[in-house]
This record gives sequence, structure tokens and C-alpha cells, in this order.
Amino acid sequence: MAEDAIVDAVPPSHRTRFGLPTLQTIVIWVVCAMVGIVAGILLAVHSVSSGVFGSQTAIGPWTTGSDFGTADASAKTRAVVARRGLLALPASEARYYNAAVDDSGQALNGHCRYRISGGALPARWWSLTVYDGDGYLVKNDPGVYSIGSAALRPDEQVRWNVAVAPNKQPGNWLPSGNIDHFELTLRVYLPADGGSGNLERTQLPAITREAC
Amino acid sequence: MLRRFLPPVLLGLILMAVAWHVTLVQTPRALMAAATHRIANAGSGFNTMTAAPLATSDSRMIVRPSPDLAYSSCPFDLSKGPVLVDVAAVPAPYWSLSVFDARTDVAFVRNNVQANGNPIRVALLGEKGGQAPPGYEPVPVKGDKGIALIRILIDDRARFPQIDAARQASSCKVLGS
Repeated sequence: MAEDAIVDAVPPSHRTRFGLPTLQTIVIWVVCAMVGIVAGILLAVHSVSSGVFGSQTAIGPWTTGSDFGTADASAKTRAVVARRGLLALPASEARYYNAAVDDSGQALNGHCRYRISGGALPARWWSLTVYDGDGYLVKNDPGVYSIGSAALRPDEQVRWNVAVAPNKQPGNWLPSGNIDHFELTLRVYLPADGGSGNLERTQLPAITREAC
Repeated sequence: MLRRFLPPVLLGLILMAVAWHVTLVQTPRALMAAATHRIANAGSGFNTMTAAPLATSDSRMIVRPSPDLAYSSCPFDLSKGPVLVDVAAVPAPYWSLSVFDARTDVAFVRNNVQANGNPIRVALLGEKGGQAPPGYEPVPVKGDKGIALIRILIDDRARFPQIDAARQASSCKVLGS
């Protein structure tokens, strides 16, 4: 049926005397079809590869989404989550906030020193983790990859600071491993609102580049 | 000239849109299938629970692993019948069971708070159906394969050996095996 439609769409001037499309016409159709299929696949792969984990909503430098693991998730969200955070929990269990840039919009650079400052979050517990561009933990000598609310002193719970830098820093320190680009993921477990809403900009940690 | 090239170009554009959509739809299934087989090969195969060590920078089993969580996973295959998942209570401030189907949708999730600290017992039922035995909550799953994942918060790595010993009591097996 589809072949009939293609043959019908070929003007008489581009058919042989037997009424069939010329070889040149067939080549044009085949090339267009193949280019279309390959372009569609490449565009989809690029879209997923360049997609940010939880990119539906931007809140300052943080991006998030709330339909992970649900049937409501769009095809693109589902593909990006599978690529960037397979087996992510639904919003009622955990909310994921990802940052690939600082407060000024510059990409997070593992050669620089950043100050991450935040306060108490309306959840049972939270953790902040440094990942490389592929979504894996950043190699570092002390083997420190994250900091969580459970590890903070009681007096730090309401106002905390973490330095993200390649070299050891006083206080709370997350090594950035001297890599060119890193990302931060803030996991907020058992959010007080059941995951129905996003944290506000004032509740999410500030990401300030201090030195480079 | 335009009359000659417009129809094949339109066909190309239509096929591009179709290929784009099909690729997006199939990506999660492909990545989930790869992860399921990878976890099964790294552990003891399908329908068994494997307790993984804490994630480090060398961990490549899944992307974006949480270093604060101890993961135990059961890559399941329901083609041989329902699979029973038993999650033992552990002395940690947070633990949970989540079940993901082949399309990456969450078929079931429950944490220690919702379970009042009691063990969680579920029977994963595939397309062929089946019945959950007494004491097990039925969980319908689309497709035959997926992953049941236990997450346990390790708030103090010094306590990990104790929690690690406790989580070994969790299991995953085909009904009747």
C-alpha cells in the first residue's frame, strides 16, 4: 500500500515508458527516507544524551521533575531518566534536584572552589552528591562522595555550608576531583508534602563560585 | 524541480519524526533490559537477591548511584511464575523496597515508615497472573522482567557491617522453588 502511494506520487515525467519510476527517482526517494530515519534517530539520541536529569522545571541553578517512574512521564523524560538516573524513585518517596551550573549560570568546574549553603529542608532526610558528567561518583583519595543531613551536627542542620573543591577544605568538604565538569544532585527523601510540590528557590542551596 | 523533490522530502520528514519518537520510546526499555541483565550477571542471576557493596567511583552498575545507600537488588523474570520478595527489617533510619517494570515504571514502593518497621513481603505477578500466597501482598507487573530494589540509608559507615549482616536475610525466589 505504501509502495503504491509512493509510485502514485511520482509525476509521469519521472517514470519510464513502462510507467515505473526512473532509477534516479527511486534513489531520491530511498535517500530521503534513509536520511529521515537516520536524522530522527540521531536527533533522539542527542536529545537524550544532552538532556539533564529532571529537567522539566528550573529553579535557579537547580532542575527537577516530579513524574519519574510514573506512567505520566513523557517519552523524553522517561528516556532521559533511564539514561541519567535509572531506577529513580517516584516523587512521594524522593525528589531529585540536579545542578550543572552555579548561581551565575556558569558550568560547574572541578578545578574551582564552590560554597554550597543551605538550610533545613522539609523532608525526613537529604543528601548532596557530586557526580561527573556521565553520572558516576567522582574519584578522590579520601573516598568522600556526598554529605547528608544525617551527618550534620544539630547546630548545622538549620544553616549549613559545604565546600566543593579539588583540594581539602576546612569544615564540610566534597571533593570535585579536578575534573572539567561536575554535577550536583540533591536528594530529598520523604518530602513533607508527599512530593507534590517543588522546593522554592530560597529553600534550595545556593551555589557560589569562590575561586578558580 | 519542487514537484519532483517535495514528496520524497516530505516522506523523509515524516520518517524522521517516526524514528525520533520510536527511539525515545525504546530507549528506556533498552537501557532497563541492559541494566537488568548486567545486574543479573554481576550477581547470582535472575530471581535471587544480591547485596551490593556501597557505591564508589568505580561503581558502574547503574548511573547516579547514591553513596549513602546500600542497595540489594533482585533482577526478576516472571516467565516461570510469581516471584516472592521478602525484605527484612534492618536497623537503619530509612529503608525501602521499590519494584521497577521493563518500561522503568514503578510498580510498587514502600518504606520502613509505611511498613511500621515490619518486614515487607510481596508477590510479583506477571502477565500470566497467578496468586499471591498467604502473607504476601500481590503486586501486578507489566511484562516479565524488571528489578526489585532495596535501598537502605547508611547514615554512619561505621554501622554498615551490622546493617550488611541484617540485610542478608532479605530474599527473592520463584514461588514454589
